[in-house]
Amino acid sequence: MVEIAVLIKQVPDTSAKIEVRDGRVDLSSVKWITSPYDEFAIEAALQHKEANGGTITAVTLGPESCDKALKDAKALGVDNLLRVWSDSWGYMDSNAIQSILAQVLANLNVNAIYCGKAAADTGAGSTGPGIAQRLGWPSVANIVGIKFDNDALEVTQPSSSGQSIIGVSLPALISCDKGMNEPRRANVRGIMMAKKATIELIDNIHSDSSISLVGHSNPPDKPPGKKFEGAENVPNVVKLLRDEANII
Amino acid sequence: MKEDYIGRVLHIVTFRSFRGKAMDRYEGVDFYNIESQLTEEEVMIRDMVRDWVSDEVIPNIEHACRDGIFPDKWRVALGEMGVLGAPLEGYGCPGLSYVAYGLICQELERGDSGLRSFASVQGSLAMYPIWDFGSEEQKNHYLPKMASGEWVGCFGLTEPDYGSNPGDMITRATDEGDYYLLNGAKMWITNGTIADVAVVWAKLDGVIRGFIVEKGDEGFSAPEMTGKHSLKASVTSELVFQDCKIPKDRILPGVEGLRGPFSCLNNARYGISWGAVGAAQACFHSAKEYALSRIQFSHPIASYQLVQNKLAWMLREITKGQLLALDLGKKKDDGSWIPEHISLAKMNNVDMALEIARMARDIHGANGILDEYCIMRHMANLESVKTYEGTHDIHNLILGRWITGIQAFTREK
Repeated sequence: MVEIAVLIKQVPDTSAKIEVRDGRVDLSSVKWITSPYDEFAIEAALQHKEANGGTITAVTLGPESCDKALKDAKALGVDNLLRVWSDSWGYMDSNAIQSILAQVLANLNVNAIYCGKAAADTGAGSTGPGIAQRLGWPSVANIVGIKFDNDALEVTQPSSSGQSIIGVSLPALISCDKGMNEPRRANVRGIMMAKKATIELIDNIHSDSSISLVGHSNPPDKPPGKKFEGAENVPNVVKLLRDEANII
Repeated sequence: MKEDYIGRVLHIVTFRSFRGKAMDRYEGVDFYNIESQLTEEEVMIRDMVRDWVSDEVIPNIEHACRDGIFPDKWRVALGEMGVLGAPLEGYGCPGLSYVAYGLICQELERGDSGLRSFASVQGSLAMYPIWDFGSEEQKNHYLPKMASGEWVGCFGLTEPDYGSNPGDMITRATDEGDYYLLNGAKMWITNGTIADVAVVWAKLDGVIRGFIVEKGDEGFSAPEMTGKHSLKASVTSELVFQDCKIPKDRILPGVEGLRGPFSCLNNARYGISWGAVGAAQACFHSAKEYALSRIQFSHPIASYQLVQNKLAWMLREITKGQLLALDLGKKKDDGSWIPEHISLAKMNNVDMALEIARMARDIHGANGILDEYCIMRHMANLESVKTYEGTHDIHNLILGRWITGIQAFTREK
């Protein structure tokens, strides 16, 4: 039996158009989804439970609108839902997020934590390892394969010359990469379970950020493309692709 | 700086590429924010089916049509998702709202009318009569395996010479003491050849009754009809009964007369009113994308008033069709519907979808006839949908009777 937590973050749809207004990103009209890498983490947690038994708690940090991400996880088969809310929400740096989540997770009595390798919005990839550091747990990141044993895991991690197969004892934190598994789809039965599910709320934790956000700005406009016509330009195009774009 | 830019672009491309298999998430057409009138559960179910259709159906539908097959893995997936017999309750069925069932039909038909037909026939025409008119033993025996997709069902009402006029059917059952003997033929039967269970309507002592026929029953065969230009990814069959022996416990005990098959058709027709909106949305979406990318006279054709007029008309009609389907769904859920409501919605929305498919073909120009686009497939499918489950004209006559109090189906009565 294994007690599992899976960390979920709700992010703007990865195909949403992001706009900046008055020096801040305006997310008021975007559609929100579960961060794609977290889908691999949910699937890994479900497979771990299926292999060894136990329960899974899905955890997210954010406002009430994040309940949707938790219910989506419930529809896939997680057992318990937990939303963490902090008054310091608004701008929270990585340290503050890790600190709050580590405090919550320390009290959950879990011995395996799964998360995506990075959130699709910030792309920082620091939450998982930072939580493991605070818990004093081993952390393995960017995992693309996993085998389950009762008190240990064998994970596959890409390396520059191939793949590393790593054994890790529980408790441990695993951050999950694309290719680790094929995330399952929800079904009607799961969705009906999600409808009835209750979400536990923890809202009395605070952590100060050590940095502050000054402002957002749009990335510079995409430079105009170059257009070449005629077969006589092929050598020139090849040269530019090789020397300027560095893609061949 | 340049490398940073390329890196950023690759980052975005990577993220998009693994949200399901579809590159761009399809968002549907929802000009009037109909989603705000749906429950959280209904939205989740719609999105589940929508994503499955994007990932598994749309990339494979043209091959299925060319090969003239209904891929068996779609049967399995529909069962795993739990959408078969969606509004039925108990016996392994989820008991969803009729609005949720409608949304399922909409998303399936966005993929293909043949796919929605499979689900309609399974749920509304084969499972529903067993659920509503079957014995407890029949419900327990058939429904869980049909809800899971393990057993496929079909519905035998139409005959070669009796389509709009099923009351004069010639298929007969006779009571032979220990069993019934079934003789006759049914035609245009979706799922017939692949069905494990057929709900067949036949006259017993002059009264229409429902019988459950199983694959392999002596005297029963279901040859597939070929040569269709429409619903090519759907199995259409004849059902032939030659001294077909049916055990006594396979008659549906709870209904006599045309009320039986017509109550099934009410549910299926309701689903079609939503499904047609899905097909229309697919054609509109394709036409919009094409119009924005197709350059003529140095500008996208979407920038020309004639094309915008067509797109605006399409959005207008889709929105009206959506509101009609949603309102009918709410009526189904609170019980305030009448069959004429369903006739109006089925007739209007299929007609609307067919006109949108034709207009979308026009916007696509010559490209509109290629199977690279969904247009001609939907258009050909909708020609069938306009005719089956009560033809367009029969639904007009149903409304005509409601308006005037005078039936105009026949001159005999």
